[in-house]
Amino acid sequence: MASLSEEVLLVVKKVRQKKQDGTLYLMAERIAWGPEGKDRFTVSHLYADIRCQKISPDGKAKIQLQLVLHTGESTTFHFANESSALKDREAAKELLQQLLPKFKKKANKELEEKNRMLQEDPVLFQLYKDLVVSQVISAEEFWANRLSINNTDHSLSNNKQEVGISAAFLADIRPQTDGCNGLRYNLTADIIESIFRTYPTVKQKYGENVPHNLTEKEFWTRFFQSHYFHRDRINTGTQDIFSECAKQDEKGLKSMVVQGVKNPMVDLLSLEDKTLDEGYGVSTAPSTSNSNKTVKENSNSAIIKRFNHHSAMVLAAGSRKGETSSTDGNSRDSDFFQPPVKKVKLQESIEYEDLQRENGPKTVALNLKKSDRYAHGPVPLQSQQYTTSQDIINSVNCIRHEMANYKPNLTQVLSNSTASSAIAALSPGGVLMQAGAQQAINQMVPSEVQGELKHLYTAAGELLRHFWSCFPVNTPFLEEKLTGHLEEMLQMAYSKFHAWQTRRMLRKT
Amino acid sequence: MKINIEGLLVYFPYDYIYPEQYSYMLELKRTLDAKGHGVLEMPSGTGKTISLLSLIVAYQRAFPLEVTKLIYCSRTVPEIEKVVEELRKLMEFYSKETGESSNFLALALSSRKNLCIHPEILHANIVVYSYHYLLDPKIADLVSKELAKKSVVVFDEAHNIDNVCIDSMSVNITRRTLDRCQNNVDTLQNTIRNIKETDAAKLKEEYRRLVEGLKEANVARETDVYMANPVLPDEILQEAVPGSIRTAEHFVGFMRRFLEYLKARLRVHHVVQESAPQFLKDVFDKVCIDRKPLRFCAERLRSLLRTLEIADITDFSPVTLISNFATLVSTYSQGFTIIIEPFEDRTPTIANPVLHFSCMDPSIAIKPVFERFQSVIITSGTLSPLDIYPRILDFRPVTMASFTMTLARTCLCPLIVGRGNDQVALSSKFETREDFAVIRNYGNLLLEMSAIVPDGIVAFFTSYVYMENIVASWYEQGILENIQRNKLIFIETPDASETSMALEKYQEACENGRGAVLLSVARGKVSEGIDFVHHFGRAVIMFGVPYVYTQSRILKARLEYLRDQFQIRENDFLTFDAMRHAAQCVGRAIRGKTDYGLMIFADKRYARADKRGKLPRWIQEHMSDGSLNLTVDETVQLAKHFLRQMAQPFRQEDQLGLSLLTLEQLESEEILQKITQIAHQA
Repeated sequence: MASLSEEVLLVVKKVRQKKQDGTLYLMAERIAWGPEGKDRFTVSHLYADIRCQKISPDGKAKIQLQLVLHTGESTTFHFANESSALKDREAAKELLQQLLPKFKKKANKELEEKNRMLQEDPVLFQLYKDLVVSQVISAEEFWANRLSINNTDHSLSNNKQEVGISAAFLADIRPQTDGCNGLRYNLTADIIESIFRTYPTVKQKYGENVPHNLTEKEFWTRFFQSHYFHRDRINTGTQDIFSECAKQDEKGLKSMVVQGVKNPMVDLLSLEDKTLDEGYGVSTAPSTSNSNKTVKENSNSAIIKRFNHHSAMVLAAGSRKGETSSTDGNSRDSDFFQPPVKKVKLQESIEYEDLQRENGPKTVALNLKKSDRYAHGPVPLQSQQYTTSQDIINSVNCIRHEMANYKPNLTQVLSNSTASSAIAALSPGGVLMQAGAQQAINQMVPSEVQGELKHLYTAAGELLRHFWSCFPVNTPFLEEKLTGHLEEMLQMAYSKFHAWQTRRMLRKT
Repeated sequence: MKINIEGLLVYFPYDYIYPEQYSYMLELKRTLDAKGHGVLEMPSGTGKTISLLSLIVAYQRAFPLEVTKLIYCSRTVPEIEKVVEELRKLMEFYSKETGESSNFLALALSSRKNLCIHPEILHANIVVYSYHYLLDPKIADLVSKELAKKSVVVFDEAHNIDNVCIDSMSVNITRRTLDRCQNNVDTLQNTIRNIKETDAAKLKEEYRRLVEGLKEANVARETDVYMANPVLPDEILQEAVPGSIRTAEHFVGFMRRFLEYLKARLRVHHVVQESAPQFLKDVFDKVCIDRKPLRFCAERLRSLLRTLEIADITDFSPVTLISNFATLVSTYSQGFTIIIEPFEDRTPTIANPVLHFSCMDPSIAIKPVFERFQSVIITSGTLSPLDIYPRILDFRPVTMASFTMTLARTCLCPLIVGRGNDQVALSSKFETREDFAVIRNYGNLLLEMSAIVPDGIVAFFTSYVYMENIVASWYEQGILENIQRNKLIFIETPDASETSMALEKYQEACENGRGAVLLSVARGKVSEGIDFVHHFGRAVIMFGVPYVYTQSRILKARLEYLRDQFQIRENDFLTFDAMRHAAQCVGRAIRGKTDYGLMIFADKRYARADKRGKLPRWIQEHMSDGSLNLTVDETVQLAKHFLRQMAQPFRQEDQLGLSLLTLEQLESEEILQKITQIAHQA
């Protein structure tokens, strides 16, 4: 089991487990403990198996760390180094704190996923009961190739709708005065995530600077002091790690603008057929050059730009997933599809839905070749000829016609007794009506027996699937699987079937 | 359906019809019968365009000799494309019903970039293009002058037609224009010198032609082949080009002299305003240029450019501009004013002299259209008050009518907010523009609305500067942050592509359910060209009354002119102008009977009769006395009530017989009587 080279992240000596001195190792994927003087681990847990860690309260004499596993078992380590016990424990705890969530997510996800599959698929659940619970094959083997099959398509179906970002998340960080000429901003993990999702450049800066250059606190302090946060303040050119963010935002905004809009109906540039030449017209456009704008006007337009940008970013963050498949089905850079969009938009805009007769959703006309089959559904084929409803109607008409023209032939009437016996024979239950009472096999066998048989069948099928998936046998593992327990399993399945059969025979007799 | 409009069989490509569409077609037919002009107002979203097209096409088919062509003018490129789409629908209906493919030729000129196709215009049955192709003499002369007299001209979205007319006749000259013009003149001189050496015969030929004068054009005009051109007055057609500018060199020299004069005029230190005759007198006094050769300038330059076989005329647009100015200023002694401003009002220290030659009389540009074509229809969703248009455009309509929107449910809700919750009067008037209390209450109104209105809210401000100031102040007061808790915020900027992007994002936010607020400006591009149908605009808030900036000298001159020439009082015109823009803004939200929206007028001045009375009838009639001076809280209550009502299901059956008719209903006597009441004779 032990992988050849595992990265050891932390080694803590003098750790007691079950009153035995030893060394605790924290590795990339598991935590392990080995007694002193021996080079093998007596305790080894994958991080994925650990549900949580517990530590002894600060004041206690024994400094301990307990790991609780998903199975409910627990392991307790006692840090026994007199001088540095607390420090050792803290180091181990900190590291675990970082490591566990990573694996936990994975483990939880898998468990959840298995659970979901079993709940959604009763056949699979039965199979699981038949094979795993009755210990024909192990759970791991059962899931081994099932999860990977489903991984691809469930990721689509299980795609939970992501929670969007509140547009006002910055408003929620109202600063409070701390009483001595300073401001306090309260940040929560949610707000930080909102900031990161809305402003990827800030996230990038965070990645670059924390924790190498700045502590987290310093980073956010600078963020709130920056001109980037207070966009109405004009950038005074101070050295500020966020000035680059502003520049990048500006760039992003520009590129968005340059790309133009997809919907031709909102494109203000193409709105007007610019027919007035330069120099004509009543009012010349007011000079928009920045040179003669006042500082206030500049800051005002900065605010406006900021709001547009902020809203666009929030909107984009909320729908980042759907970005590739844009709403109207064509990508920005392909001019090729442009006309249809325009056409559709135009059609939409001239549509008067209430003037048209067809108001409901458009339906496809049903084209039936045999309308009676549609009306009655499939009818089990009898040994007799198949009669359509048209035939029946015809024959009813025919009979009615005959009845209308019926003239009793009084010379050839039946006797009373023969007539009544003929009626009896034609009544339900009579001799001549037997054909209608044919029983299908599925009605003769009780449903529980059928169910059992079905389970045995699927279970055997699953085992056979495992069996055939071993071919071609090109690894020793497969060979072992084949000759070892698969054979055993098939044997077991066979005996199960046999047991069922005898039980059934017994019951019948 | 096929409808009978006073004996005319009209193919209408829908199964149902709105009563007002029927009335509209009726009035339209009467106008065409009378071979006169008409002014028709009908709310947008009631199928104005398809009614127009159906009736006129039917008319053309029934009386091919009476009406030979439909010239449909609209304002924006998307509008033009929509007309074409509707026309296509109509034609498909025709070929489906009659079984024959129609031999109608329709032509759309959607953009000047793909211009055109001159001979085809003459043969098309329907031409769809922008206003400028008919109203701007520079383009009309190229594109439209040969259009047949027996055409019907439709100006759709015509509420701003006077401004288009004025724009097409006004000229602004800056130092830069003059410098570039100087370069043009130099180039011309060099080209002439070169040609003289290589091909002197060509110049002689031109000279000969100019002696004969513009007889050809005159003959054409007299025989009604051409439409008149306001830049080419009748008188000069009968005369030869004056000797002083007949040879190419002389003309170039003449232009040089005129240019020097203009340069000198731009060297002023104070504002100068003068009339055209004053200007001409000064030209004569200073540089001895007569009125007569000036009038020939535009035509003379055109001839020269043709003779020199200059391919790219756009390079010569500055000198063309100056020559057009010369012709205009010497042709019209009235209707224009000349204002020379040495600097912009906002920046008195930076010299930037501009000579504004402004047209004040929109009838000058549109006169040839009214004179030439037998029927001209002015139509829009907002043309109130109807009688002002015939006055300022100087024509006599045979029909004037305003149609309302028949509604099975009241899907528009106009509310006038006059007070804040603290009883502060809300107004954008100059004195209280900076008032914090007003700004705060405006913010409060938007905030409250953002909490109760689903999807999209559009807010309009009276000007860009005003919006900037309010936004800044809302930002400081934290109002915008609170609005962001409810909706995203997008704001119009002076940059069109930035605004386009904001608009698209705004629509995206309305579409995905997050909801958004768009802050925009009346008289801006958004207010004129973008529709906010259904959830893209469930409420429009008009902050203030969108008066035009009254300090402009050009506007003052125009107001004076209106008063003197048309007896229209300054205040009446300003209010009319403000109210048509307000109506445009709030009308953006209602684009049909299945649509619904709140129209919030946030200024107590809207409650006054002189303002309210200038709104279109279809908005006015839904204003009750109880909704004229509301507080913000009361507005919220009414809005909530309205929105709850509108959220109820609304089906086609609810409309039938009231605001939607089947063919049978249309033919019943009772309904026809009801319909006749709808048309409102102005």
